[in-house]
Amino acid sequence: MTHTSPVVIVGAGTAGISAAVELAQAGIHSIVLDEAPKIGGAVFRGPYREAIELPHLDSKLRKKISNIRQQYHEHQAFIELRLNTRVLGPAGKSSLLVRHKEEVSELSYEELIIATGCHERSVPFDGWQMPGVMLLGGVQLQLKSGLVKPGQKMAVVGTGPLLPLVACQLFKAGVEVLGVYEAGKFSDFAKESRALLNRPVLALEGMGMLSYLKANAIPMHYGQGIVSVSGEGNLKKAHFAKYTDDWYPIEGTGTSLELDCLAVGYGFVSRNQLSQLFQLEHDVCPISGLKPKIDTWQKSSQENIYIAGDSVGILGGEGAMVEGRIAALSIAQTRQKVTSEQANSKADDYFTLLQKVKSFRAGFDRIGRRREGLLSLLKPNTIVCRCENVTRSDIDDVIEQGVKDITSLKMRTRAGMGDCQGKTCNSYCQDRLGHELKNPDVGHIKPRFPLDPIPFSALSDGVQL
Amino acid sequence: MSTKTNKKYDIVIAGGGVIGAACAYFLSKEKDLKIALVDLKKPGNASRASAGGLWAIGESVGLGCGVIFFNRMTMQQADATGEDLPPMRPHVLPDYFFEFALKSNAMYPALWQELKDKHGVDFKFEKTGLKYVMYDEYDKMYADSIVDHIPGLIDQVSWLSAEELAEDEPYINKKSIGALEFKCDHQVNPYRLNEAYLEAARQNGVELFLETEVLSIEKRGNKVIGVETDAGFIACDTLINAAGSWAAQLSKMATGIELPVYPVKGQIILSERLPKILKGCVSTTDCYIAQKDNGEVLIGSTTEEKGFDTTNTLPELKELVNGAVKCIPMLNDLNIKRCWAGLRPGTPDEFPILGEMEGVEGYINACGHFRTGILTSAITGKLINDLYRGLPLDMDITPFKYSRFLKPKEDTSEDSKMIEDALV
Repeated sequence: MTHTSPVVIVGAGTAGISAAVELAQAGIHSIVLDEAPKIGGAVFRGPYREAIELPHLDSKLRKKISNIRQQYHEHQAFIELRLNTRVLGPAGKSSLLVRHKEEVSELSYEELIIATGCHERSVPFDGWQMPGVMLLGGVQLQLKSGLVKPGQKMAVVGTGPLLPLVACQLFKAGVEVLGVYEAGKFSDFAKESRALLNRPVLALEGMGMLSYLKANAIPMHYGQGIVSVSGEGNLKKAHFAKYTDDWYPIEGTGTSLELDCLAVGYGFVSRNQLSQLFQLEHDVCPISGLKPKIDTWQKSSQENIYIAGDSVGILGGEGAMVEGRIAALSIAQTRQKVTSEQANSKADDYFTLLQKVKSFRAGFDRIGRRREGLLSLLKPNTIVCRCENVTRSDIDDVIEQGVKDITSLKMRTRAGMGDCQGKTCNSYCQDRLGHELKNPDVGHIKPRFPLDPIPFSALSDGVQL
Repeated sequence: MSTKTNKKYDIVIAGGGVIGAACAYFLSKEKDLKIALVDLKKPGNASRASAGGLWAIGESVGLGCGVIFFNRMTMQQADATGEDLPPMRPHVLPDYFFEFALKSNAMYPALWQELKDKHGVDFKFEKTGLKYVMYDEYDKMYADSIVDHIPGLIDQVSWLSAEELAEDEPYINKKSIGALEFKCDHQVNPYRLNEAYLEAARQNGVELFLETEVLSIEKRGNKVIGVETDAGFIACDTLINAAGSWAAQLSKMATGIELPVYPVKGQIILSERLPKILKGCVSTTDCYIAQKDNGEVLIGSTTEEKGFDTTNTLPELKELVNGAVKCIPMLNDLNIKRCWAGLRPGTPDEFPILGEMEGVEGYINACGHFRTGILTSAITGKLINDLYRGLPLDMDITPFKYSRFLKPKEDTSEDSKMIEDALV
């Protein structure tokens, strides 16, 4: 079989661009699709115009942002970028349906790399929809895309390594940061120090950030988290408390802060809607619900489809880079552009690094494992699914009725039936049902084609008659 | 999980789609039986991919879900005989199907009230009528022929002129020449109907074994005595096969005979949520269109024999989109929110398979409802209940029994005769 057609890569983030670069180095062309107007994905997107300076981002991050662009520019001859382009789903065998502006077209491939990254986990609590409550990634995007200050007085709450990082970035951007609330206990971090030392530089950077916060009198609270927010129309106050081991707020430990913006981050969920639509094999995964099955070369259950980066498990930028390159090497090998010796010797370093990244990440995953207490932060009338206005008490009712699977919950409440296909509410619904049934396997909301709404006109021959 | 359930049940219903759920509801109304319902969600569940049309006349004359089916059959027939495509003729089903569909249809207003009042569930029954929208003289001939075929139902149809149609449904293509309306054809929300039956049955004491797979059927001699599931063994006196597109596998396990039930794929399209743009349900010869209770417009449906495949495919979706945009031009400027596919449980003569099977005790069929499961779920539930209890039946179910497939050859040619009729 002669391979002449370009490899199609979905996602121009770290994994996608790294794959494209590795392919280019083997002399293989690729087409990279991304819904965003810029390459870099959520982690390394950078400012909309090159002229914008980002003094609040540390020099390492700025360097990484320019590095990924640099790599792309060096191999541009081999990489066809199609930005502002959304993938709607598979179209028959070996073809994708894509939308660019109002135009819908098919794009066929011999090999496909899915590098769709992740989205933020939404943890509903009393008041979570109030203007001023933002997800951590959204806050970061504002900081990275230019100099938009999300608020004047802010706090950062949730769990994971991003919390102190965003707090530092906010402070450097001139925001008054009132505190950082990490649900994990300090002792949990101490326990995981061995895991975290798998990436000593990252661990040190983390320490550096913590001392930066300390030096600037920004308090870091461990074992504490959000209870609710309040305000009239806009956010005025956020209420925090100490958490039990299961992350239930402990009564009598509450504190309140007056602020105009709150950054909330309880981690990320793989975007695996596309791999599901392809009906690839998946394993049940406590973090993202499902995780596509892959072999050591990132190959899925389907011979010519590879999955790399956060879409196959949340590892962050470094892991995404390595996984993208591993997938590319495997394709280069299949296309006989590199020998298996060449591929193996190159991949060995990648495998080693990937293992370290995974061990490092596993530490944070254990600390930040979602606990059932988070499910207690909703009032009966708190909205869970904002597309369909489904409240907690609607969910209570159907659980009372004996619903045992997420599909029936969806059918009875309409949670997850809106435009976003459950990206926002699925996490809560899944956790809640799993908790009530004492069984995490409650099925999954199946993504439907198209992954984003499309105009009728895109599929019609125009108005006839 | 326990490997043995302690209770013994009078009845186990295999399948929690709209038919199994309806059987569970009707059988549990007296609260005198021990009933278990076993259900496993598989991709392609037809009750979740239905339009929810109660198009008793429409479906019986080949409109609604039937249009694409019969379009294709006509084309295939023309291909096979090498003749030019004859003008479309309605495919009118026999009287006993009309009776079955109309009797079921008549049950919904009271059933809706009953489920709301007694059980607090609302399946969103809406009086809509079904309009067959005509674009040209051929469509008019088709409509004329429908009316000729149903002299007994003349009080249920009315003709709308182009002006009347435009006034009634201002968003329908102004170039339409009018419509034929079936006044008694209405709609429900299909998955709410399914869930309503289930919830009411649960309130009546039916035990729901959800997310549970039937692994095998236990028999003693020719008598069904229980169901082996992944949640343990469930002993029972009677098994009801309401397994939809999967009914053949279940009957094979229970009776050794594979019912002639097979999946017939239907792709459907759902629009974004819209303000009210349609008063009634609509069928053309291209597709059907129904605006549901939450504002979404549902467009269906393809008829494909692709096994258990439930993928969406572009050429078929485009066909539906073109049909819909032709009927309601403004859709062209609006968005498609979702597409999916369901597997109708088809049978060779497109009629359901109801009742016992000769030579097997403790086994009842309630399957093969093809494209009218939502519509005929009510009468099916009632008939199965009456049959189980030995009560007089509301109608003769002989034409729906499995034994019809065992008749001598000459009788089974009725099928092809019907197609011939349709082509004259």
